[in-house]
Amino acid sequence: MTTAPATRDQRRLSPAEASFAATWADRGPGNDGATALRARGFAAFEASGLPAGRREAWKYTSLRALARREFRPAGPVRAPRPEDLAALDIEGLDGLRAVFINGRLVPELSDLDGDDGLQIVPLSDALAERGHRALEIAGSIACVDTHPLAALNQAFVGDGVFIGVSPGAAPSRPLHLMFLSLDGGSPVAAHPRVVVDAAPESALVLIEHYTGRGEIRNLTNAVTELRLGHGAVVEHYRLQEEPATGFHIGGLHGWLERDARLISHNLHFGAALARLDVGVSLAEPGAEVVLNGLYLVDGKRHVDNHTRVDHLAPETRSDELYRGVVDDRGRAVFNGKAVVHPDAQKIEAHQSNRNLLLSREAEVDTKPELEIYADDVKCSHGATVGQLDRNALFYLLSRGISRKVARDMLTFAFAETVAVRIPLAAVRRRIEARIAGALPDARMIGHGVEDEA
Amino acid sequence: MLKVTNLHARVDDKAILTGLDLEIGAGEVHAIMGPNGSGKSTLANVLAGRDGYEVTEGTVEYDGQDLLALAPEERARRGVFLAFQYPVEIPGVNNAYLLKAALNAIRAHRGEPELDAFEFLALVKERMELMHMDESFLNRGVNEGFSGGEKKRNEILQMAILEPRLAVLDETDSGLDIDALKVVAAGVNSLRDPERAIVMVTHYQRLLDYIEPDYVHVLSGGRIVKTGDRTLALELEDRGYDWLREAASV
Ligand SMILES: Nc1ncnc2c1ncn2[C@@H]1O[C@H](COP(=O)(O)OP(=O)(O)OP(=O)(O)O)[C@@H](O)[C@H]1O
Ligand SMILES: [Mg+2]
Repeated sequence: MTTAPATRDQRRLSPAEASFAATWADRGPGNDGATALRARGFAAFEASGLPAGRREAWKYTSLRALARREFRPAGPVRAPRPEDLAALDIEGLDGLRAVFINGRLVPELSDLDGDDGLQIVPLSDALAERGHRALEIAGSIACVDTHPLAALNQAFVGDGVFIGVSPGAAPSRPLHLMFLSLDGGSPVAAHPRVVVDAAPESALVLIEHYTGRGEIRNLTNAVTELRLGHGAVVEHYRLQEEPATGFHIGGLHGWLERDARLISHNLHFGAALARLDVGVSLAEPGAEVVLNGLYLVDGKRHVDNHTRVDHLAPETRSDELYRGVVDDRGRAVFNGKAVVHPDAQKIEAHQSNRNLLLSREAEVDTKPELEIYADDVKCSHGATVGQLDRNALFYLLSRGISRKVARDMLTFAFAETVAVRIPLAAVRRRIEARIAGALPDARMIGHGVEDEA
Repeated sequence: MLKVTNLHARVDDKAILTGLDLEIGAGEVHAIMGPNGSGKSTLANVLAGRDGYEVTEGTVEYDGQDLLALAPEERARRGVFLAFQYPVEIPGVNNAYLLKAALNAIRAHRGEPELDAFEFLALVKERMELMHMDESFLNRGVNEGFSGGEKKRNEILQMAILEPRLAVLDETDSGLDIDALKVVAAGVNSLRDPERAIVMVTHYQRLLDYIEPDYVHVLSGGRIVKTGDRTLALELEDRGYDWLREAASV
């Protein structure tokens, strides 16, 4: 027996890492256009491993509980039951639908016949086609060297969809991607990827909706890459409602050309541990991103939002508003960074993160960061962590309203600031119903009924 | 209806009420006047049950009950109403929702059924007319962006809908223009009732031209130092408070 010199290969792998490596070895890199992508993703993940607290970006979020689990490959573990599928519907939303179970597209349950100008293709098919745009975009926006979990996703790239919108096209219906996580004995790791190619002057409304059923212990590790050509407008929703036992990790990476506009709503209501990395590059003048975030964290759940906006060109704008409600022993992390690169003059970057703590054991770590290398810029940022306004609480109590209802009303009011920024009425109503909790007549509380679209 | 005896209260270790006595019967209207900082709002807040006010001595009896033992929401359900000197803005919760939640909580306490949406709207619209308030206020956030006078009117609207037994109006007349003052006064007068008591904290004799009080009290240095009828208000307008302060300190 020979003893090889100690290399990183011999670093002890966690059960999770070992199970990823075994799955990857079984499956092999394949021989289609995605081969190089997978190999590169796997190499990057091998080099980094699951991130630990030594990394600044993972200081407050530990993946130890995740590392201890062994995961089996993506794919349905059982046939979905009607009640599983019912969880996917958003009342009042009339959209095209793509259903994924444990990461894998289920064509029988999907309705992908869009208008002219909208192309929805299983990602594996797109990547297998020589010269397909998907090959150009996938892996070019989400960086595997700085995002270990994006590297892991890329190592398994294949599940997910490619969405192409032709120049000038504006599909009449939103596209609803439904990711359903189902339990089936041992935990499943799903690594779906959504690749969006919004051609110049096109428009798209895209909803990524993550739910699950049962006491799942699955990992959803979902990466979305969006390329917006000049003048393209994408309204994007990421609605995360996974069961409180699952892991949800995700990345949203955008590249915006001249005058493109991305409006992204990142709404976290579930998962034992949720982490979302948003990275948007405003690459050409006139590009604009609006990031809207809301998280409700209760029980012993943990939600971490990391965002980074790179102003690479002059006259670009970013506007970020994240709010969170943290109750029980919940923990929330926010890190928002805006980087204004040299020569990116006349840009605007605004950022705000506010947190409402409802319990003494709840915890929030928030850090807005600005790095500015240009001089003619308009920037603002701020972060707060506070409790319910005592004056407002007393006002409601003094009207005979119970403490519980008063607390719920003020919590609603706090979160409603984000909800009102949601243009899609069906999604907004669902969010309002969630933030209204047990309040009666939830539909009446915020804007009443007068603004129904 | 209300009997305050030797009330002492402090805020942040500062003694503010220093032995206050006040008795109010059903059907009566009382005015409380007094210099800035003398403790008028403190008295109102103690009656409504705001936390942070520590009662160190004395008793408050309301309908034979120990008022101080009740939580603020319990007091409200039993008919205590405070019109705030500075009403709070609550963007994100609309005015109609607050009114309905409050009214139904109070009705439930009285053993009355909840009003359905139709009955509620009919009641609210009728009372809004009385207060010369546009219906658009219903859909706006509670006091959100209301002018000073609109906020005060909104307080009286709430009072008109909740129909309290004991209403304490803390400087509801401040910041009102002359027309608004008449509207508010008419609203309050319409709520005068043999079963209801009204306490008005005010700095201005003019309010008392529109809402005639049965009693006028002067609160100074944390106590009621003088009680009279409405001619006392006229005398105060003339002479100020100094003569009473001197009288009180001997
Ligand atoms: N939270 C607090 N901490 C310290 N002092 C307080 C606090 N609240 C009130 N006070 C003080 O208590 C005193 C009485 O205040 P209060 O508001 O009752 O006066 P008021 O008679 O209503 O005056 P005004 O006519 O100006 O409304 C004031 O000196 C005020 O500064
Ligand atoms: Mg006062």
